[in-house]
Amino acid sequence: MINIWRLTKIQLLSSFGLNKALHTHDVKERRRLLLLSIVILISVVMVGVVSFGYSFMMALTFEQIGRMDLLLAIMMAVASVIGFFTTIYKASGVLFSFKDYDLVMSLPIKTSHVVASRVLQLYVLNLFFTLMVMLPAGVVYAIKVNPGVFYYLLYLTTLLFIPLIPIIAATIIGSLISWISSRFKGSQVISLILTFAVIIAVMFGSFRMNGSVQILSDMGTQLADMIFKLYPLTSIYVDAVCSYQMGSFLLFIVISVLAFMLFTIVLGTRFKAIYTGITTSHASSKYQMKPLEAASPFLALYRKELRRYISSSLYVLNTSIGMILLLAMSISLLFISSEKLGQLVEIPQLSTYLSKLAPLVVSMFVTLSCTTSSSISLEGKNIWILKSSPVPKQTILLSKIAVNLTVTIPILIVSYVLLMISLRTGWIESLLLLAIPMIYACYSAMMGVLVNLKFPNLEWTSEVTAIKQSASVIVAMLIGFISLVIPFALVLLLSHVNGNLILLGIGLIMIAVCSVIFRYIRTKGEQLFQTL
Amino acid sequence: MLTIKHFSKCYKGGKKAVDDLNLVIEPGDIYGFIGHNGAGKTTTIRAVVGVLDFEEGDIEIDGISIKRDPVACKAITAYIPDNPDLYEHLTGIQYLNFIGDLFSVSKADRESLIKKYGDDFQITAYFGDLISSYSHGMKQKLAIISALIHRPKLLVLDEPFVGLDPKAAHMLKTIMADLCSNGSAIFFSTHVLDVAEKLCNKIAIIKAGKLITHGKTEEVKGDNSLENVFLELIDHD
Repeated sequence: MINIWRLTKIQLLSSFGLNKALHTHDVKERRRLLLLSIVILISVVMVGVVSFGYSFMMALTFEQIGRMDLLLAIMMAVASVIGFFTTIYKASGVLFSFKDYDLVMSLPIKTSHVVASRVLQLYVLNLFFTLMVMLPAGVVYAIKVNPGVFYYLLYLTTLLFIPLIPIIAATIIGSLISWISSRFKGSQVISLILTFAVIIAVMFGSFRMNGSVQILSDMGTQLADMIFKLYPLTSIYVDAVCSYQMGSFLLFIVISVLAFMLFTIVLGTRFKAIYTGITTSHASSKYQMKPLEAASPFLALYRKELRRYISSSLYVLNTSIGMILLLAMSISLLFISSEKLGQLVEIPQLSTYLSKLAPLVVSMFVTLSCTTSSSISLEGKNIWILKSSPVPKQTILLSKIAVNLTVTIPILIVSYVLLMISLRTGWIESLLLLAIPMIYACYSAMMGVLVNLKFPNLEWTSEVTAIKQSASVIVAMLIGFISLVIPFALVLLLSHVNGNLILLGIGLIMIAVCSVIFRYIRTKGEQLFQTL
Repeated sequence: MLTIKHFSKCYKGGKKAVDDLNLVIEPGDIYGFIGHNGAGKTTTIRAVVGVLDFEEGDIEIDGISIKRDPVACKAITAYIPDNPDLYEHLTGIQYLNFIGDLFSVSKADRESLIKKYGDDFQITAYFGDLISSYSHGMKQKLAIISALIHRPKLLVLDEPFVGLDPKAAHMLKTIMADLCSNGSAIFFSTHVLDVAEKLCNKIAIIKAGKLITHGKTEEVKGDNSLENVFLELIDHD
């Protein structure tokens, strides 16, 4: 058992540059990591405040119908959905895409323990989301109900077990996808298609569920029935925490732990076969020299970068989901009017906001699709090839930006046409609807490169570390978020001013920001790249 | 061809990895760079090829400072690291073509040289396969071919014989000799002293970041074997 913890600890230390932070003696590096910690702390506080507000608002409704237990039930279901949804993306990557596979598997450790350490890595990351959702909900519940000491004991203990089942469910799907994909020649492409299919199916399912929740929101018992039926563990959880039933408490823990143990043992038996299937390349060894096509260094770098992008299903999944969502929303709006959508999501003036804010809403999806914030980190140990090549480093950086724009721009244009039809925008609105997201696409791609240059992680052993758990990705996401929140707030607060005028101003400011970043990349990019 | 002037490199914390190194490598030289693990060989090599940044001293390739014009220096240099980590998502031929593009090698040259060296190293048949399916030795051969297709004036190699089969090692030695007879220079680190003794016309020995001896191989080793000279110099404080 101690080996599971040892393996988990090693993996977690490599996440978010944690080990570097603990051991570096470089003052500059320490200052940078301190700054990063502050940024993360601010984000955590921000999310915590929003989560508390959300729980508090819901508690007001549940207090009226005398069903405060529903608050914990719903929030537990929300935490589970978040855990499930975020794990599907990375399950395969964490389980099967680690470069130290040979090293780890040659150690005198059971395969099931290796699997357990991988699942625990997912668990620790998901525990964070659970805490972000459940801690504020628990505090609101305690304020409203004023429960006895026993509540705190049961509530805090069960907190640790909430993420287990959703993670295992998502990991089973992830493993199945990997197992099926490993049997095909283009395993990465098959894995990508299957994962996208599952995500779209889950999204479609949750969309249908949202509709039902809306209808049932005034009927407490029916709502409870529905949640309990959809995810029976919520019922056991509520019985344990709100009614202090020891049987339910023990059952909840036993089910979670047993599922975890069973899963690691079962996957342990097929682990090597799946890994071998995924990593074994099909080699024909029958190549005969053919005429070669010469290209400019930029085009060669762009092609290489694009191949790198497509070769990693984890990279594609994490960075293209924003564009997929944008396309899904644009298509949906062709069939559902924005007024109806407003009624559905309980925002009365959504159609008004949408016509005003559509360029920013689209830009939000674009900034979610930042491939560049991990593109330098992903060079990993191959960085020597680029560093020793006779190409200006800005060309390398621009090729990475070009790949990001290849991911965003075509879908952006398709969505633009669809949104123009469904929202029936005027010519100025149409122009802004195209121009603002385009500017944000350039901004996001360039900003990602810059952030990754400042916070590189070339020492990863699993791609997941670079793509999902690196400082640069978090910082880029946060900067992208802030860059959108401010314009959103401006448009909403200055409602008496012409919205188009504000958007035009925002567009001009963002163009100025883009040109500053572009100049910085051109002048300082070489130096920053060289210090990698 | 390569001039290293008062090159020093400090790592974070102040420890000097290389201290005031001076070397001159002329066209036609096969220059062996020998030292213990951690003596500063790889640090020097990485600075020469423009992978490692440095503050003290200067390095010139064909009269051009790597600090002043790194791109021009790199265009005439080829580097093969000790552990060739290549792009595993590319096929062998895609990788070679990519390097050909970066070094602006003409279509005719790259086709003929890839074919020539691919056949020499008996790897042409594998060019269509993903690099991820290659063995360590095959990756090493691919890295060597990629270094040769732009006809470098300076070839820098870090432990080039590790992982190569005897036939490939022999082929590499022949290619190195051919390159130098055509006016290129080779600077390489090795732990295999027999190879250095037979192959190199000049030798430098580095210890704890400081150059302790250098010059023509015959002058450095005298009547002794290179192994004896090396051990004596390294053990002597």
